[in-house]
Amino acid sequence: MMNKTIPIKISLYILPACIPMLLFWFIPIFVTFGISFTNWDYMTELSRIRFLGVKNYISIFKDIRFYQCLLNTLAFTIGTVLPMMLIGFTLAQLIYSHKKEHPIFRILLFSPWVTPTVAISIVWIFLFDTDQGFLNQILSYLNVSKVPWLTSSKVALISVMLVTVWKSAGYAMVIFLGALHRIPKSLFEAASMDGAGTLEKIWFITLPEIRNTILFLIFTGTVSSIRAYDQIQILTQGGPSGSTRTLIYYFYQLGFEEFDTGKASATAIIILIITVSISAVQFMILSKKESSR
Amino acid sequence: MSQVKNMVRRVILSIGSFIAVFPLIWMLLSGLNDYLMTFVPGNGKGISFTLENIGYVLFQSPVPLYIKNSMLISVVTSLYQIITGAMLAYALTFLKFRCKKLLYYIIFFTYMLPSAATYIPSYIVLSKLNLLNTYKGLILSQSVSLFGIFLLRQNFLEIPKDFVDAAKIDGATDWKILWKVVFPLARSGFITFFLLSFISLYNNYMWPALITTDSRLYQVSQGVRSFFIDDGAYGTKWPLIMAADSIVILPLVLMYICASHVIIHGISGDSGVKG
Repeated sequence: MMNKTIPIKISLYILPACIPMLLFWFIPIFVTFGISFTNWDYMTELSRIRFLGVKNYISIFKDIRFYQCLLNTLAFTIGTVLPMMLIGFTLAQLIYSHKKEHPIFRILLFSPWVTPTVAISIVWIFLFDTDQGFLNQILSYLNVSKVPWLTSSKVALISVMLVTVWKSAGYAMVIFLGALHRIPKSLFEAASMDGAGTLEKIWFITLPEIRNTILFLIFTGTVSSIRAYDQIQILTQGGPSGSTRTLIYYFYQLGFEEFDTGKASATAIIILIITVSISAVQFMILSKKESSR
Repeated sequence: MSQVKNMVRRVILSIGSFIAVFPLIWMLLSGLNDYLMTFVPGNGKGISFTLENIGYVLFQSPVPLYIKNSMLISVVTSLYQIITGAMLAYALTFLKFRCKKLLYYIIFFTYMLPSAATYIPSYIVLSKLNLLNTYKGLILSQSVSLFGIFLLRQNFLEIPKDFVDAAKIDGATDWKILWKVVFPLARSGFITFFLLSFISLYNNYMWPALITTDSRLYQVSQGVRSFFIDDGAYGTKWPLIMAADSIVILPLVLMYICASHVIIHGISGDSGVKG
């Protein structure tokens, strides 16, 4: 009798979360995978759906836009994750080594992360405005020629990166600070007695000690840069001439502007494979580190 | 020497902080101006404050409606997420059942995947349920936070099993234990969950924009974008747009001012990485 009642009770605890999870996360992933092999668009009747095999994938691999998107995604990821890490670490280190750290710095530096990407991206369009924008006003004051921040295909991607780094550097700083505070103080004291300077301490103690945090930020930063959509949609809509179109934006345009559901699903699966590979690498590196201890 | 060093540190941190908040300050100043603010002295008309734009946004534009929608959806959805998440995390931590490991791995696997891979089928599910363009659809499709499940589970694991066992011996039901014993002990985890969830729901854009086309249901992100295009005439009425932006961001800024410590601590402490 007990055996029969317990599963019901357990399922009462599990189902409220699991039903939406299955309905909107887990099953859709497999459906997306299925759609990626068909010619389905939103309109086709079920009986008319045809199985196309890997045709959608082949047509993506033949699409020159895809390679542009791949390159843009790569550039965008490196160009956001690296500066985010460097700025975040520098700020964290500055706050950490400050004897009487004022909490106001931490609060102000982290604040961009809290702001809505869409609303703040509109502010950035204003700052970037070629004629009336703040940035070009400063440049013209300094007698430097105006920069077409969002309207030139050479600069636009960098501008989008700038906004992304501005928003995420404070987040990296907070994560780094948490890690810095977990390093045993005695390590630094011992190094000081041996006459180590600040840079030596950072290189030989801090960086090895926060290795896992660095890896964590590289991987989560990479994954979130691959997912980045809001700022691109608001700042440039993937333009000018596709210079800021990343894979996720390509997915959006295929699926919700061109209604080419099969091809969009195939793109989603490609993004998924890239993300899973990155997560798998992270998992392997982190578990290796654990077991070597 | 160390005084000079401290000065340099403080200067760098101050410059960094200034860059971090400058867009917000510029937004607010521009929103309070009746014409375009210029940086170069003598080049523009200078600063003259007015509440006209703010007044227009508050009383004649749909922006307050967007904020109301966002508030409503974010609060209700995050409460849903907390309840469903707490129940699942409780089952994963304190209850024994078959396939528990499997369930945990399914959740973990799902968590890592890019949500874009789910959008097209999820969209179809909502349209089949006739839930496109409804509050219900927006709430239901976001009623689970996988991140929150992990956050709560992490917090629950730190609760000594004896507490729960003792309550069980006293004859308390699991439901009572969850809310009377576990909840108070993991309170900081719950608060962090609520704040982070609220922020990300309030700021959410891509998914809500895909499933709502009815402007009466717009949330702030979608709403402020359409305001930017319609009332703001794609960036020719900057002071007006900046006023709308300021009002939209204000609730989060207020919340951040009140709870920055909790938010920052929640992120640095519970990120799941140790050292």
